[in-house]
Amino acid sequence: MNHAVIAGYVRSPFHFAHKGALVEKRPDDLAAEVVSGLLDRTGVDPAEIEDLIVGCAFPEGEQGFNLGRIVGLIADLPISIGGTTVNRFCGSSMQAIHMAAGAIRMEAGEAFICAGVESMSRIPMGGFNPAPNPDLYERNEGAYMSMGETAENLARKYQITREEQESLAVASHARAAQAWDEGKFSGEVIAVETGGGTVDRDGCIRPGTSAEILAGLEPAFDAEGTVTAGTSSPLTDGAAAVLVCTEDFAARNELAVLARIRAIAVAGCAPEIMGYGPVVSSEKALARAGLKMADIDVIELNEAFAAQALACVRELSIDLERMNIDGGAIALGHPLGATGARITGKAAQLLRREDKRYALATQCIGGGQGISTVIEAA
Amino acid sequence: MPIEKAAVIGAGLMGGAMAAHIANAGHEVVLLDIVPEDDGNRNALAEGAVARMLKDDPAPFMDRADARRVVTGNIEDHLHLLGDADWIVEAVTERVDVKQAVYRRIDAARKTGSIVSSNTSTILWRALTDGMPESFARDFLITHFFNPPRYMRLLEVAAGPETRADAAEAVSDFADRKLGKSVVACNDTPGFIANRIGTYWLVAAVGAALEDGITVEEADALLGRPIGAPKTGVFGLLDLVGLDLMPLVGRSLKDTLPADDPLAVIYDEPALIRSMIAEGYTGRKGKGGFYRLDPDSDKREKQAIDLESGEYEAARRPRLPSIEESAGSLRALLEFPDRTGAYAWKVMSGTLAYAAGLVPEIADDVEAVDRAMRLGYNWKRGPFEIIDDLGAEWFAGKLAAEGRETPPLLKAAVDSGSFYRTADGRRDHLGDGGRYRSATRPEGVLLLSDVKRTGRPLARNGSASLWDVGDGVACLEFHTKMNALDTEIMALIDRSLGIVGGGMKALVIHNEGSNFSVGMNLGLALFAVNVGAWPTIERTVAQGQEAYKALKFAPFPVVGAPAGMALGGGCEILLHCDAVQAHAESYIGLVEVGVGIVPGWGGCKEMMLRGLGSGRPGFGGSMPAISRVFETIGLAKVSRSAKEARKLGFLREGDGITANRDRLLADAKARALALAEDYAPPEPATVKLPGKTGRIALQMAVKGLAKTRKATPHDLVVVDRLGTVLTGGDTDATREVPEDRFSELEREAILDLMRMPATVARMEHMLETGKPLRN
Repeated sequence: MNHAVIAGYVRSPFHFAHKGALVEKRPDDLAAEVVSGLLDRTGVDPAEIEDLIVGCAFPEGEQGFNLGRIVGLIADLPISIGGTTVNRFCGSSMQAIHMAAGAIRMEAGEAFICAGVESMSRIPMGGFNPAPNPDLYERNEGAYMSMGETAENLARKYQITREEQESLAVASHARAAQAWDEGKFSGEVIAVETGGGTVDRDGCIRPGTSAEILAGLEPAFDAEGTVTAGTSSPLTDGAAAVLVCTEDFAARNELAVLARIRAIAVAGCAPEIMGYGPVVSSEKALARAGLKMADIDVIELNEAFAAQALACVRELSIDLERMNIDGGAIALGHPLGATGARITGKAAQLLRREDKRYALATQCIGGGQGISTVIEAA
Repeated sequence: MPIEKAAVIGAGLMGGAMAAHIANAGHEVVLLDIVPEDDGNRNALAEGAVARMLKDDPAPFMDRADARRVVTGNIEDHLHLLGDADWIVEAVTERVDVKQAVYRRIDAARKTGSIVSSNTSTILWRALTDGMPESFARDFLITHFFNPPRYMRLLEVAAGPETRADAAEAVSDFADRKLGKSVVACNDTPGFIANRIGTYWLVAAVGAALEDGITVEEADALLGRPIGAPKTGVFGLLDLVGLDLMPLVGRSLKDTLPADDPLAVIYDEPALIRSMIAEGYTGRKGKGGFYRLDPDSDKREKQAIDLESGEYEAARRPRLPSIEESAGSLRALLEFPDRTGAYAWKVMSGTLAYAAGLVPEIADDVEAVDRAMRLGYNWKRGPFEIIDDLGAEWFAGKLAAEGRETPPLLKAAVDSGSFYRTADGRRDHLGDGGRYRSATRPEGVLLLSDVKRTGRPLARNGSASLWDVGDGVACLEFHTKMNALDTEIMALIDRSLGIVGGGMKALVIHNEGSNFSVGMNLGLALFAVNVGAWPTIERTVAQGQEAYKALKFAPFPVVGAPAGMALGGGCEILLHCDAVQAHAESYIGLVEVGVGIVPGWGGCKEMMLRGLGSGRPGFGGSMPAISRVFETIGLAKVSRSAKEARKLGFLREGDGITANRDRLLADAKARALALAEDYAPPEPATVKLPGKTGRIALQMAVKGLAKTRKATPHDLVVVDRLGTVLTGGDTDATREVPEDRFSELEREAILDLMRMPATVARMEHMLETGKPLRN
């Protein structure tokens, strides 16, 4: 049977939307540069690629048309490669990886580029012309609920204090800053070109973030609540890409395999606590892999909000020492469509770097879903 | 040579704000100050001034983008920037030696034919040019701006005998047309006009209050509104400008005036004021002044100083029989037989007699003096207008009865009857030799008040009038309190349409009130709500909609010409005009949500039609336009200048802005006549709107605001109704809807909202306090 492996991962620097270094960068151009960067770093022959699968949460405007095809054409990929766009909101580019893994099992291709991108500067969350279904909204407000509100719901439900949320945020910034200092991002971040020059560093991390600073912020979503801008992932511009292929293909092309995909899962949950999604999807994925949480050495759990991440940590009994060891989305940023590829690629890189056996990458998804990928050392 | 580029030397309060205002006018301006000690940044003073002014309120800049036209620097490194300046204004310390040192540096850097002026308020032209080269003196004059220069309309210009005439003309013309100033030519005398008389008034008022045991509150009650001055009176005014300014200006006047000048005679620095200044009680900018807010109370309780003890006590609002019984008659107040009447007489008789003795020393005529006091001190009437109001004979008689001297000019007024007279529709003023002279309006100045003197209106009722302003153009004037809109105004609009349509070319909507219109008469609306007169309310809404619609589709052009506030219904009438010629200081907004309703006289409709652009949603569908309008109306945004009104969509790109209020009507009339050539009224539009899905999208956006307490519970109710109107109510995105549909939706929303107690509470609160209720 064909096993799908991850044989490469790169991402662009992540920068604050509206004020960061990538504000003027079109998302299709950004994704194309990251795809080209992946090809350069892995040395894979592009003619061998079956499909380019691009995840994006708001595929309209500059992220519109068929973004997957557009990015392939901008990157000058051989025209024989397909191109598709996939939307599972924040889980979009992890879904891209799952689609590649599924196709590989179907023997419907040997190598896939699974990318993701979001310019939250240039395409607003909710899109330019939002048109929610009025009947659904009246029946089930959670379907369109703001993400901050769902985080408050979880903070209340799990009695997660503001201090706990803030200590996660402090750790996230400290770990990300230290990882940069130690050069640990050089294996994943590629420089991108902008009108303002070359951008090769992340822009969202605030190394000096302390509990005192965070304690001074006003609640961002509910005056009575505990969630602040400091314990939420920022609006971010960025792109990421992962090379998914068969083990045979990797061997034949002498690619450096980072990890083997062991199990995947998606699962739904109540929309008003969408941040709980990773619990249900991870339970499924772990069961499919025949593993327990205790077996998992490396966890990449997207920090959409500290409250949401900590609810999952509790329910899944995650050891914080194993989670997001180079920092999470609160520090690095969360360009919606790009995050799935980032955390899955990152988990694969960490397995190899830390010489561990199993890893879990998982994230929550607006509307009430979770998505999880279990990978193992190749 | 017209002025294109300007420079200001000295980036203090006045210098910075003058530079900002020149930038407001669309001209590049260099702003230089000295190199500060102990600062790495050699341009810190000028740069700091611009940064500070971007935060100041009231804002010196009309639009943040105007700040980009201010080029900052310092006088060590950037004097060369003066090389292409046509006009260089000096606004440095009030010392002749310092100013002349600056002039020598300017003179070395400036181009031939450039004009240099000083913003001095106390130093004479002849002192400033003494010892300077003749070539400099020829190009030099005094331009005395009032603080804050963007908002105060007076500019005193004093030229010396050697100043070339075209220099004063060029600066005056620039100040008039571009900076919107009313230029008063004055003679080279100490304090020029406004401060000479104003300082006398303040010094006399403070001295007499101390002498006669009049309290701070009593003095301000007597010398504020009753004489036509702002309600700050004298002590409140000193707090506003700073107590420390008084000895600064006063001492300099005393030193330069002849010893027998009445101001020099009465000038005194009371011990109380000296100690207040020494201890930092310099007024609103300091720890407090004659008034302050009780520092030991968090309820913003006002205190006033006891002039005898120097202690602060709770401020009282004095009920004075002299004011109450004189019932608005200044003469009765000045004659009132008690200590407060005597005080008012003492201060005002001194001030008025002083002013009467100063013409023609300080200015050529009484009109210049009156205008300077109106615009420089915000008096409703200047001293000579006040004397006319009192009766020149009565005033002279009362002075004579006290054995005081009667100034010759006052004698002449007694002989002729008054300082001003109206003859043949013109307002003449008393000039040399007891002869009346007509004020000639400069070209491009047309005042409705002049028109009104010449004849009878074309139509009139209790709330509005229609005037013939010449060349086939009519002017619709509101004249209710605050120019609030009522059914009478709507009725006169209706009549005006018939009159203008019957042979005239165009209609201008304009008035000379402080505010164009503050919108619907809230008191009347609330009364109707309280008695449950729903059919009346519905009729009133419909009447306004019909009247405004008729203006829009009239067979002749309609041009709105607002100045000051144009709120609610006052904004809506402008939105229905073919074009707007706005005064630069126009504060326009749809503020209905503040009283718990939505714009109902077509404001939602016209803003949406503008946003959608000829009814066809462009790229991105209709929601971007809807959400912009939703935000503007939902947050009750009011522009802080005409430029900002353009950004908010209340003015269109093609609408004009006039800097000088006196030129507004003429500009609007010219605009109307230009439109009247080949005029065709607009066609009614149809639009495609998203309906309920759009309303839900807006609801989703607003929900978070309530959670974070940026919106109140009733805000959510009101803006949800606003959302229903803007998204077309019950419709579908594929359906073409006529623009009238908006009007129906506006009416439905208003009638529903007015039935809600929370809306009624908002209306009551606004009427009582003038502020919106956050319920």
